[in-house]
Order: sequence, then C-alpha cells, then structure tokens
Amino acid sequence: MKKVLLLLSMVALMPSGAGVLAAPAAAAPGLIEQAEAARKEADALGFEWRDTSKLIKSAKEALDKGQKEESDKLASLALLQSKAAIAQAKSTAKNWKMMIPK
Amino acid sequence: MKKTIQRRLLTGALVLMTALVTKPAHAVNYQALVDADVKKFQGYFRKEFPDVKFEDYGDGVYALDEDARKQWKEMEEFPPYELDVEAGKALFNKPFANGKSLASCFPNGGAVRGNYPYFDEKRKQVVTLEMAINECRVANGEKPYPGFKGDLAKVSAYMAYISRGQKIDVKVKSAAAYKAYMKGKAFFYGKRGQLNMSCSGCHMEYAGRHLRAEIMSPALGHTTHFPVFRSKWGEIGTLHKRYEGCNDNIGAKPFEEQSEEYRDLEFFQTIMSNGLKFNGPAARK
Ligand code: HEC
Repeated sequence: MKKVLLLLSMVALMPSGAGVLAAPAAAAPGLIEQAEAARKEADALGFEWRDTSKLIKSAKEALDKGQKEESDKLASLALLQSKAAIAQAKSTAKNWKMMIPK
Repeated sequence: MKKTIQRRLLTGALVLMTALVTKPAHAVNYQALVDADVKKFQGYFRKEFPDVKFEDYGDGVYALDEDARKQWKEMEEFPPYELDVEAGKALFNKPFANGKSLASCFPNGGAVRGNYPYFDEKRKQVVTLEMAINECRVANGEKPYPGFKGDLAKVSAYMAYISRGQKIDVKVKSAAAYKAYMKGKAFFYGKRGQLNMSCSGCHMEYAGRHLRAEIMSPALGHTTHFPVFRSKWGEIGTLHKRYEGCNDNIGAKPFEEQSEEYRDLEFFQTIMSNGLKFNGPAARK
C-alpha cells in the first residue's frame, strides 16, 4: 500500500514536468500495466469491481490520443479500485462468518 | 459476557472432543452441519416475519407486502411467461441433428426440477438444471444455448412448469459437497463490489424494506420460482441472470452464467430453501 501511495503521489506531482525528466510515454504505460496487473489479481480472487476494466480501457484510449494526464488519472483510479478490491477480498475471506445475521 | 464466551468455548471443546472420540474424521456428518444452518436461516425469517406462512416464501417479495401481492396476483392471471413455456416445450422435444432430443436426456418427461441442483460426487461439482440442459445438447453434438435468457431460460421454464410442486430437498453428503456449499455460503454473506455489500445485507437484514421503487425480497425462497419473466427485462431470464444483476448493482463484476461461483451460490441458496416447493416459472416486476 505504501508503495502505491508513493507512486500515486509521484505521478500526481509530476504530470507536466515529467516530459523534461523522462520520455513522456514511459510513466503512463507503467501505470496502466500496474492497474491491469492489480485488476487481474482482484479478478483471480473473484472480487474485481464492475468498472475497473472499463477505466483501464479508457486510460489506454486516452494515451493513444496523446491525452497523458487524462490517461494517468483513469489508470490511477483503476489501480486504486483494484487495490481496494484485493483488500476487500482478504477482509471478506477473514470476516464473512461474522456477517451472518443472528 | 466473559462467562458466556467461556461456556461457549467449553461446549465447543466438548462437541469437538465427542466428535473426535466417537467418529473418525472421514465420517463427519455434513448433512447435520447443513441442517443446523438451514434451521438457523429459516428461523431468522420466522422471527423477522412471524405472520408470514412458510410456504408463502416461494412467492418472493409478494409474501411480505400485501399491496404488491394483489398486483402480482392479477399479473399471474395472464402469466407473461406462458408463451415461453410453450416455446420451451417445443425446444425440449425438437430433434437434434442426430435424431435425439433434450427429451432423450431427462427421465420423467423432463419433470425433474426437484432433482436440481445437486452435487455430482464423481465430477466434484454442482450441477444445475441449466447446466444439465446444455450438457445434453453438447453430448449430442449441438452448441450449448447462450446464457442468462432466451432458449436456455425457455427450456428451463418448461421443465420447471411441469415439475411444479416438487419439494426442495438438496443434500450435502461429502466433504467435497460441503466445500461447494461453504463457497456458496461465503459468497452469500461476503461483502463485495464498490458498495461493499453482501447478498445477506439486502435480502436478510433489509428484507421487506424499500430500496428506491423496490421492496427487497427475503432470501428464503429465492430459488424456488426461476426462471422469471421480469417486466423490467421484458423477457424471461435465469436465476444466474438475476445474480448478474444484483452483482452489477453493487458495482461488482458479475460472473458468467453457470460459472462455478454462481452454481455454488445457487446450491447454497437452494439448500436454505429446503422444505419449500419448486413453483417456477414466475412473474416479477
Ligand atoms: C443493494 C441491495 C442488493 C444486494 C446487495 C443484492 N440484491 Fe438481490 N435484489 C435486490 C433488489 C432490489 C431486487 C428486486 C426486488 C426483489 O428483491 O425481488 C433483488 C432481487 C433478487 C432476486 C430475485 C427475487 C425474486 O423473487 O425473483 C434474487 C434471487 C436475488 N436478488 C439474489 C441476490 C443475491 C444472491 C445477491 C448476492 C450476490 C444479491 N441478490 C444482492 C437488491 C439487492
């Protein structure tokens, strides 16, 4: 989780300046790939959220159109959703028995 | 508080010890574990709705709400699924390319709703009626029907119709069956999706209450009456289509028709309705 936050804050801090520091396309595909990997993990647990793959698709489309900022935003959201879904899967696996109404 | 916990732990330990002493591990009585769950589950609704008769739970939300029930009774006078049952009958008897038909796969003229779902001990998985219909087609060189609605729902509707009144009595006889049951149970009580909600949250704790224009049905009786002709769909659909909709509504990615997840969920839900009668197909708003 710490890594994700770090990554997200880095992305948030650099959107406009990134082009000067590195090849502009390099950061965005990384984010999309991470989102996709996390989505797959959530899916394997059976807990993927409804809109995550649509977000990733839109992030890819935005990148193809050169809208890097928009792409980053969508991919970060997809990544956050997937991380939340994975956390949900784990907490549900641990706690579902306590959810049975008496 | 502390005392009750201690007492519980003690009884727990005692139960465990007796189980260990009197029975080897392979002789666990899974049916008894499941029966205890059924009793608790049905007891929950008896306590919540003391005036509702047990057999009325087969009528879904209309068991709880008098006004909705009146409207529904009127709807059932000219059942919107009548044409689907007719179409399902024709499909059931229509010869495949090899001369056989769905009718060749099922005994009792297809009036077998009461035999499904069941746990197939050889294949170690839950078999639902819709799955059996498609397996019959594939075994005879035909393509399976696509999921959720259409011909699959129509054939299922016909078979449910000629099976009306058969009792729900799903058994859990093995460790493997119990595992599938527990998966369905975890699905039912587990929170998921963007709204972080469980089936039980809406269909137990909120049963009978309003959610926007709808009143939430009790989970007891959820699987008696499918497939359902739903006015909102404008057509007949399977139980798994309904599962898909409820998953989608809470922002969870739905599973496929006849996925293992939905079959296990159907297995669990049907067991919770043990003792009710199959009464499908049905009309819903
Ligand atoms: C946010 C609340 C909510 C959640 C969570 C939810 N449902 Fe539903 N469900 C509804 C509403 C609303 C309806 C339509 C009215 C009704 O209950 O019949 C419905 C209908 C149904 C029906 C059809 C009932 C009938 O009589 O035909 C079934 C079966 C069902 N849900 C199963 C489930 C299962 C299984 C889950 C968990 C995977 C689930 N629902 C999760 C709100 C919910």
